[in-house]
This record gives sequence, structure tokens and C-alpha cells, in this order.
Amino acid sequence: MKTNTMSYKCRQFLMFAGVTTAMFIAVVIVPFIYGIYLTLTSWDGVSKQKPFVGFANYAATFGDGAYWQAMGRTFLYSFIAVILVNIVAFILAFLVTSGVKGQNFFRAGFFTPNLIGGIVLGYIWKFVFNRAFVALGNSFSIGPLSTSWLATTGGAMLCLIIVSVWQYAGYMMLIYVAGFMSVSEDVLEAARIDGCTNTQSIVYVSVPLMTSSFVQCLFLTVTRCFMVYDVNLSLTNGEPFNSSVMAAMHVYNQAFTYKNFGVGQAEALILFVVCAVVGVLQVYVGKKGEVSA
Amino acid sequence: MNANEKAARNKKINHVVKILILTALFVCFVFPFVLVVINVFKTKADITSNPLALVGAHGFTMANFPEAMKKMNFGRSFLNSAFITICSTVLTIVFSSMTAFVIVRNNWKACGALLGMMVASMVIPFQVLMIPMVSLYGGVLGILNHRATLIFMHVGFSLSMATFMFHGSIKTNVPVALEEAATIDGCTRWQTYWMIVFPLLKSTIATVAIIDAMGFWNDYLLPSLVLAKKELYTIPIATQVFYGTYSTDIGLVMAALLLAMLPILILYILLQRYIVEGVTSGAVK
Amino acid sequence: MKKKLLAVTLAAAMAASLTACQGSESADGGGADNKGVSITIFNSKIEVQAQFEEMAKEYSETSGVNVEVYYSNDTVAAHLATKYSSNDPYTLSMVDAKDVYSLAEDHAIDLTGEKWVDNTNYAISMNGKVVGFPVCVEARGLIYNKDAIEKVTGEPFNPEDYTTLDAFQGLLEKLAAGGMETPTGIMKEDWSLAGHFLSEVYETQEDVDGFISSLHEGSADLANNARWNARMDYFDTMMKYNYAAGSAIAAEREVSEQKLAEGEIAFMFGGNWDWSMINAYEYSENMGIMPVPENTSDGTNKKLVGGGSKYFFIDSSDNTSEEQRQAAKDFLNWLVFDEAGNSFLTEKCALVPAYSNINAAGLDPLSVSVKSYADAGNLIDNYNYLPDDHFSLCGAAFQKYLAGQTDRAGLAAEIENYWKSTTPVEH
Repeated sequence: MKTNTMSYKCRQFLMFAGVTTAMFIAVVIVPFIYGIYLTLTSWDGVSKQKPFVGFANYAATFGDGAYWQAMGRTFLYSFIAVILVNIVAFILAFLVTSGVKGQNFFRAGFFTPNLIGGIVLGYIWKFVFNRAFVALGNSFSIGPLSTSWLATTGGAMLCLIIVSVWQYAGYMMLIYVAGFMSVSEDVLEAARIDGCTNTQSIVYVSVPLMTSSFVQCLFLTVTRCFMVYDVNLSLTNGEPFNSSVMAAMHVYNQAFTYKNFGVGQAEALILFVVCAVVGVLQVYVGKKGEVSA
Repeated sequence: MNANEKAARNKKINHVVKILILTALFVCFVFPFVLVVINVFKTKADITSNPLALVGAHGFTMANFPEAMKKMNFGRSFLNSAFITICSTVLTIVFSSMTAFVIVRNNWKACGALLGMMVASMVIPFQVLMIPMVSLYGGVLGILNHRATLIFMHVGFSLSMATFMFHGSIKTNVPVALEEAATIDGCTRWQTYWMIVFPLLKSTIATVAIIDAMGFWNDYLLPSLVLAKKELYTIPIATQVFYGTYSTDIGLVMAALLLAMLPILILYILLQRYIVEGVTSGAVK
Repeated sequence: MKKKLLAVTLAAAMAASLTACQGSESADGGGADNKGVSITIFNSKIEVQAQFEEMAKEYSETSGVNVEVYYSNDTVAAHLATKYSSNDPYTLSMVDAKDVYSLAEDHAIDLTGEKWVDNTNYAISMNGKVVGFPVCVEARGLIYNKDAIEKVTGEPFNPEDYTTLDAFQGLLEKLAAGGMETPTGIMKEDWSLAGHFLSEVYETQEDVDGFISSLHEGSADLANNARWNARMDYFDTMMKYNYAAGSAIAAEREVSEQKLAEGEIAFMFGGNWDWSMINAYEYSENMGIMPVPENTSDGTNKKLVGGGSKYFFIDSSDNTSEEQRQAAKDFLNWLVFDEAGNSFLTEKCALVPAYSNINAAGLDPLSVSVKSYADAGNLIDNYNYLPDDHFSLCGAAFQKYLAGQTDRAGLAAEIENYWKSTTPVEH
């Protein structure tokens, strides 16, 4: 059978990827294109008319100070959260692959936060920060705990970061665990013979060989942090005084609460572009540093 | 004390320190769950007045569970959630693994373009697609309010990530030589895929299964848009009355959380041993 | 074969709809012939969702009209936007007054001439047509816990004695001295601070529309406005005695309501809807709502602010059939003119009726207060044309004030700036 004719290629592609392509286009691409069209209208979300306004919504976006503030805040939050998530996840992964007793039990424990949906998770943590911690602080007179952290600007941000670390560290841990296990024993043995200490062999041998795990984890955490919405909504709802409104939440408010659907949609699209650029850049840089095993 | 004994002792100390650190971290991670378990057996008034007490002033109560179950119509929502989650997960795995196979094994332009678009689509904020999607599927096609539509959309959205993971896995874990051997034995590509390649992907399948099943099971926004009829409600939509802008009934939220978490936790424990290998192979290559 | 089946089904459906049409025409308003029609109701009042569902079941049985009630915790506008986009609107939607103004033109039918229109002062009309059916009367004011106050002071508490801020402060001092050190609570939510409290600064002006346009033009001088200062003097007093003074901005609504219900605190600004939260705790029976105490002689300290609240409108699109619309109209009439409907509104949901013919027995204590002010004509009207982002942006500014991060002048300036940069809402 000839395998380089166009018709063979088409048949193969359709047989294996036909359904996927069709569904992907139907569910993601078509609505996305329609979504882009909506950014060119001044629709309010509920009326029947969708007046075409060209690029006016994009112009309005540049005048929306609150949006860029939220964007800046999202950058700051993502930067800190991504670093912390990955450090914690890496340490967890190291500890649960070092052969301690009950490592499967620990792995399951660290992974459990992933089993809860984002909105519910936010409400549970709000309860923890606002009531449990405060009750703890009051009954043991621990100063910093006796008032809710969610009450201050910095505190609310800190809470969001803590919850993100708690939520994602277990997931990323799994990826790092896999990374650790993919570094073959032979290489480590060789390092040991050359006189490497444990720490040295991690820094100089394991880490470079795990670049792909880092790239993957960073991509996942960066994109998730940039698009954070559920936890933002249920944990802080933007409070205090709208100082913890992240980009995705601002977009939602702009579109639906303030009823500027077109502007909200345009802002969401810009958020998408930013996410995509940061994500791709990060993968690109990461891949350049990849060592082939 | 000779060097060997010293090394052995150091190792032991090392081990104990590691366990201590792990335990401390573990406590931090499960602390919220402990609070949930403590408070779910209290009345609303007791939860508010003393969240740390093991037993509330009004005593131990199971009332949150039956009330939550009744309000969310637990049996029906549970079956809906289970049906939708299982179908969506199975279909996602089947379609995405096939797609990944054809992409990995052929250096065609269409393959590269598809994968590129899929990766890019992983960073589209859902808010962008929300209204266009209901306009299209509800306004134009009029097919909302069917479980099948939701399954279709769940699969459509999750294909990207899943294909991406299978892509890495097939690339690193499936030797081309095996496939060549099968071809020589007279297998078509289709047969080769199902008989040789697919069974080798067990660990990735387990990983994709748990990650996607979790996502489908907990998803709120998409189902709330697609399923607007009560008899179709999934657990997350059915629990929305427990919290909101104006009030949160934290006791019911906790009860519902525990009820909803259980099946997915069991699934996780069942699949745990496959998962670790799975994520390795999904790594970006 | 398939085609044949389709044709037969279509024919049957057409025949059915024809007979249904005739049926509803002949029984105009009677509602007896709506059997088999299904209508959907969107309820945006979470606290009565359970009652609505129960009512729907009973109503379906007695009337033969199949009623389903839905609730969503998304923003009302977002939720309805998705329903309109998917051509699947609710037959009856319950929304806030401001949403009626933005939705009615495109989506609501004319209800002029319905029987209930003559029995209420609160219906919403646009362009000369009645479009909104008021569900209830709600009002805002200072919620008090009489039992808690009397327990500390040992004297009978009569809210009418405390219309001035001076008198109110005297009482608070007495409570503090008597052991209730922090007798007040403040809801820190933006919808409460800006949507409910700040808006009263506008609503209690003599010429509300004039004041709002002067805010837009930038000619209003909030810092020297008598109403503003009177309200803020009151607010400062509440802040001084706030139980959560240290972290006012983290006070959770559930906690504050519990403290108020159980008498740990005695006063909190709110509305009669707060009863749905208070009654989840071990509440005192003797509670009520009183006007916000102010040192003023303009009479606003003797009135609550409120009026019609939550409005039903009936969908006007092709997705709703004439029979459904008729069934929806019948349902509204049932609420107002049927005994079972009345008892659902007042007894089951504890709502203050917006209709003169409904006799409201069995109301909760807060609603009893509201009704007595409403009956005496002592309600200042709601202002329903605030911009959609007002509660959020001004609420944020107000939260800063509550947290002590800005002073009164700073808050006034922020609010003035907000108005200057906002386009006026047409009405």
C-alpha cells in the first residue's frame, strides 16, 4: 500500500484525528471566532441589538485603569504563586521519592486538595482564614492570627497565594515525582562514585535532567494562575476594596456586572494573548535549556 | 565509631527528619479537611460561634447530611454526574489518544497545526467562549438541555490537554520497532494502534482519567450553561443554592463537599499506582 | 416511513396548539384551561427558593399548569444573558427594579390592564406600559434587638425615642456602660455599604434626580451636603461601637447576623430580608427596624427607605407561547387574588405584600416594622437608576473608609470622582 499519497494521508488523519478535529473546531474554534466578533460590537449581553462599533471596545480597554491594575496584580500574584508552588512541589516530590515509609499515603494526602472544585475550595478556606484561624488566635493569644488576614490588602493577596500553593502543589508534585523517577539510577550511581554528595547530585544531575518536568509544571502553573477565577471569587470576591480583583474576575464583572459585554470580551481576549505569550515564551526558554539524557 | 556506623546513623537521622517534615507538611495539607469533618457534624449556630470545638454546644448532629442530600436531590444529581463523567472521560481518552498517535507518527502539516492550536487553546479564558457557545448551541442549533450535548462539550474542551499528554507518552514510551513488526505481520494501522499501542499507554490513560474525571465531576460553569433543567442537574449545579453573594450555608457546603468527594477519592486510590508513571510520559518533549 | 411519522407528529402538534389557543381565548383570565402548559420561573431571591419549589409543586397539582422554579447564583444579568443567547428564556423572571429597566424593552410583555395593577402603588411602567409586577415591599433601616437592649438597660426600649443621633449615642453609651461594650455591627459588603447605605444619601435628598445630575456634572458638593454629613455622623457612631472594630472589613455577614439575633449586639443597618438569616439562629422575638437616627429636622429620621422590591416580568419572545404567557398572567393573579397565593407570599415567604387587598398576618418582626411604616406612608422611595458599577466601585471606596484607610473628605472626593466619570443612566 502506498503511504505517501494525499488520499492515504487524508484517510489516516481522518480515521485517527477526524473526530477530535471536528469536536475541537465545533467546541473551541467556532465559539472563539464568534467571541472575537462580539468584541467588535457594543452589545450589553441581554438586548437584541448588537451594534457594530469596530475597535472602540479595544480603545475603551486601554482607558480602563482598573483592568490594567488587575492585570498588574495578576502578574505579581502569578509570579509569587508560581515560584512557591514549584518550590513546595519540588520539595514534596523529593521527600516522597526518597524512600521514606508510607510514601504512597503521603502522596495521596498531598494530592487530595485537587479533588475539590475551585469554588467550594474557596469557601472552605474563607472559613479557615476568617473563623478557624481567628478562633485559634484568640484562644491562644497569637497576635497575628487574632484578626482575619482577609481584612487587609496584603493579607488577602497572601491568602490567595497560600490557597494556590495548597491547591496546586500536590498536582505539580506528581509531575516532579515522575521526573525524579525518570532519572536513571546509573547516572546517580556514577555521580556518587565521582564524589557527589546527595545535595550535589540533585542540583547538578537530577535537576538538569528534569528540565522537561520543570517546563511542564511552569506552563501549567503560569497559565492557571493567570486565569484564576473560582478561588478569587469565593475566597476574597475582590475584597477588601477591590484590591484583590484579578484579571479574569475584572473581565467577568466588566462583561456582566457592569454590563459592558463588548469591553469585557475584548479584555478577556487581551488576557488570552498575554497568557499565550507568557506560556509560549516560558516553554521556549525552557526547551532551550533542556538537556538530552 | 567507624565511618560505616556513622553513615548508617546519619542515614537514620536523615530518615527521621524527612518523616517529620513530611508529617508537618501533611498536617498543613489536611488541616482544612479536618475542619470540614469537625464542623459538618454541628448546627449552623455552633459552626459560627465556635469553629474549633470538636462537638458543638448543641451536640453532635447528622442533620447537615440529610438536609444537603434533600436540597440537592442527591440521588438524581449523583447519577447525572456519574453518567456524564464516565462517558466524557472514556470518550476523551479514546479520541485524544488516537489523535496523539497520528500526530506523533506522522510529520504532516495538518498534525503540527492541530497540536499547535490545541496547546494554544489551553490558555483561552472560559469567559471568552461562554456567551458565543450558548448562542451557537442554544440559539442556533437549539440542542442545550441534553446530557449528550454536555458530554460533547466536555470532551471538546478536554481533548487539547489529553492529546498533549498522550503525545508525550507515545513519543517516549512506544517503540516504533514494535509497530513496524506488527505492520510486517499484516496489521493495518488501525489494528496496530488498538492491539499494540493503546495497551502500552496504561499509565497515561490512568492519569488522564483521574485528571479529567476530577475536572468533569467538579465543573460548575459549563454544566450550568448547558443543563438548565432540574432533572439534568449535576452535583455542582445542585449545590449552588448553598452559597452565593448574600449568604453561605457552610454546614451544607461541607456536607455536600464530603458527599461529592468520596467517589472521586476512591477512583484516585484505585488509579494511584498507575499515575506516577503516567505523568512522566506526558512531560513536554 | 420516517417522513410520514414526522408529518403526523407535526400535524398533531399543530392541532394541539390550535385547540390550546382557542381554549385560552375562551377562558380569558380564568386560567382554568391552561392544563398541560409548562411555565418556568426564575427566582432571584435565594431565601425563598425552598418555599417557591414547594409552591410550584402544589400549584402544578391544583391548576394543571406545570411550574418549575429555578435559581442561579451567577449574577442575574450574566445568567439571563446566557438564557437569552440560547433562546431559552424563563416564562417569568424575578429581577431587581434596575434590571427591569434594562431588560423590559426587549424582553417583557405589556401588563397594562391586568387586574392587579389597580391594587398596587409599586408596579413598574416604561413608556406608559406596565411591565413589572412587584413581588413584595422591602425597606432598609436600622435593625434593633429590643430584648437585648432592655436586658442591659433595664428600661423599656421605644425606637421612637431615638430618632436623633444624640439620643442614639446616649443609648449606646448606656449599653456600653451596662456591659454590652460593642453594641453595633456593620455589614462590610459592597452591596450593603454602597448599594444600600450610600444610596440613601441620594434617596433622602429633596430632589433626587437633580442631585444625581449635579453629581454627574461635578457641581454637587458632597462634603458640605447636609444629608451626607448627617448620614456619615451616624456611620461614624456605628463604627465607634462596632463589635468588629479591629477588623471591620473581615466581619462575615453570618457572624454579625448571629450576634444580632442572639443579642450580643443590638443594632445593625439592614433590611427586612435580613430576617431570613436571623431566623437560622436562636433569635429574639422582639426585633424590628427603625429609621436611621440623625440630628436633622427634615423628617428623614422618621422614615425608612424602601418600596417595591423584586419584580416579575413575562417573556415577550417567540420562545414563549401565548398559552404560556396566559398561564404566567394567571399565576400572577393567583398570587394577588387567591387565598392560597396570598398565604404563600405572606405566611410561607414572610414577604410584605405590595398589594392593598392582601391582608398580611403572620409576618416576621422585621416585616411587621416595614409594613407599619409603609402603611403610614413613611417610606422614602428607592432610587432605581444607579449605574451598574456603582455598588462595586463606590463600595470599594466605602470599605476603605470602614477600614480607616481614608477620611470622610477622601471618601466624598472618591464618590464625586466616580460620578463625574460615569455616563448618566437614561430614564
